[in-house]
Amino acid sequence: MINIENLSVRFDDAEVLQSINLDIPEGTWSCLVGPNGAGKTTLLRTMLGMQPYSGSIKYNGREIAKNKSLNIAFVPQRPSIPAAMSVAEYVMLGRAKLDGWGKESAHSRNIVHEMLEATQLLGMQGQLVNTLSGGEMQRVLIARALVQEPEVMLLDEPTSALDLHHQIAVLNKVEEIKATGVTIISTMHDITLGAMYAERIIIMQSGRVLLDGESQSVIHSPELRSAFDDRISVHLLENGRPVIIAAKRAAGLEQGVI
Amino acid sequence: MKKNQIDRVWRWQITASAAAALLIACLLGVGFGPVNLNFGSIIRTLLGLPNGLENEDRTLLLELRLPRVVLGALVGAALATSGAVYQSVFRNPLADPYLLGAASGAGLGATIAITNGGGNLHALLPIFAFLGGVLAVAATFLVAGRLFADPSTLLLAGIAVGSFATAFQTYLQQRNSAALRPVYSWILGELTVANWDVVKWAGFYILIALFVLIRISKVLDALMLSDEEAYSLGVSPQKIRFIAVAAATLATATAVSASGLIGFVGIVVPHLVRGLTKRATNRSLLSIAFVGAAFLVIADLGARTLLSPAELPIGVITAFVGAPFFLFVLRARNRGSQ
Repeated sequence: MINIENLSVRFDDAEVLQSINLDIPEGTWSCLVGPNGAGKTTLLRTMLGMQPYSGSIKYNGREIAKNKSLNIAFVPQRPSIPAAMSVAEYVMLGRAKLDGWGKESAHSRNIVHEMLEATQLLGMQGQLVNTLSGGEMQRVLIARALVQEPEVMLLDEPTSALDLHHQIAVLNKVEEIKATGVTIISTMHDITLGAMYAERIIIMQSGRVLLDGESQSVIHSPELRSAFDDRISVHLLENGRPVIIAAKRAAGLEQGVI
Repeated sequence: MKKNQIDRVWRWQITASAAAALLIACLLGVGFGPVNLNFGSIIRTLLGLPNGLENEDRTLLLELRLPRVVLGALVGAALATSGAVYQSVFRNPLADPYLLGAASGAGLGATIAITNGGGNLHALLPIFAFLGGVLAVAATFLVAGRLFADPSTLLLAGIAVGSFATAFQTYLQQRNSAALRPVYSWILGELTVANWDVVKWAGFYILIALFVLIRISKVLDALMLSDEEAYSLGVSPQKIRFIAVAAATLATATAVSASGLIGFVGIVVPHLVRGLTKRATNRSLLSIAFVGAAFLVIADLGARTLLSPAELPIGVITAFVGAPFFLFVLRARNRGSQ
């Protein structure tokens, strides 16, 4: 269980996260949603220990910043891609925290092999990461996160650079990871996709949590529309599944079946 | 390779081969010259065994060639390792050890020594060049605003400080036209000043810097990733970046003050080693140090012998040999990745 209590983060004079309180159960998928500048990425960075903060973030009762053994994997939106590094070498970096930097046990090489297989990358292990397509790179990032054997996995816009086919493939993979007990926290601009996969949606605006709850109830809430200045509308598919799309102008309550 | 395992990222055999290359280069470096020495006798002399070299040959080996080869190896190792570290820190394959103003600062320091040094030029020059290099990099950090500045801010600050130092150096040269030739010759790099005193002080700083860099080399891989990714792998990138830049600057400033500006080693050797081994990991740093040392020892051998008895500036050799070889490796690597 992750407990975030009264969490605030300041950049110079601006308070970019204000009194955040969240309880995230283990083995669940929570999706952070909100307009640009809402504080989603800052919340992820703070959980990684990059940002000084006031308040507390605890994992199973222990403060994250002091818990060096806690393994939090991070899948970035825009990775820094080293030139001339092979897929295997890049994925092996994920073992660094467990094995120690520069060590590569036979066990680690087994796990890297296994995860390359699981992400359909086997056969590409010798290819240079800077020659990969967006979809392949995303799979490599997921593979590196997987070999970390993390307790928590943070994903920053994991599908933003992908076509529909690869979006679904990546999200299905994350769902499988969640099923193994890993706690998933992601940011996603596509709220429809977020609601489809995450059981829980956390709406953020201007550094605050507006609403936090079960996905299907949150996407019908007025808070979601208000977070986006009423510029989104929710439509229901015939099977009852909601689709959220941008509205040209403030739409108020616009719901219908498409 | 066992089934269900990926290949090892690094093998000790690569490091051992690089060390062997350095040993061979050193042996060639002390053996060849206007007077060629017998390898068997050289080894016996160095190991203190009977039937070694005697008289002039012994002096030639121990007082002239050996300090020069050792200094060349130290400078080569310093430049190649610093280059590799700068490339990781700045995530830029074209970064070289002179990036943050170390070269321009050292150049300015050397010019001040040459234009004001009077008769005691060589005693003052290394100290001035060293201080110039270190102060320029310190100024770069100051201009960038803080110790843990991000790489792109540091890079721009380095360019500004470097340009300022170069402008000041040009101004001093124009005012003292007699200094033009010695400054120019220093800029092209030279190992002719090598003696055991220079080797001792240069070796002291370079070995400390290399020790630090090799110690942190494995963690340096984290700097090739974004800061968020480094944190998730348990590394604080700002701290590592600062230690890496400080140690690389110490090595560079010492190398420059001992031998002038020897270009191309810092870029060619890291790419050469990474290209040949097909590995980008910083675990290659020790091999890069060995190969950089071997490369400069061989380049110096060329500088001494090609136009013998005249000497070529070593910087001319490093670029003349290094550039085509580098292009060859680059082309082979690109072909391999396609």
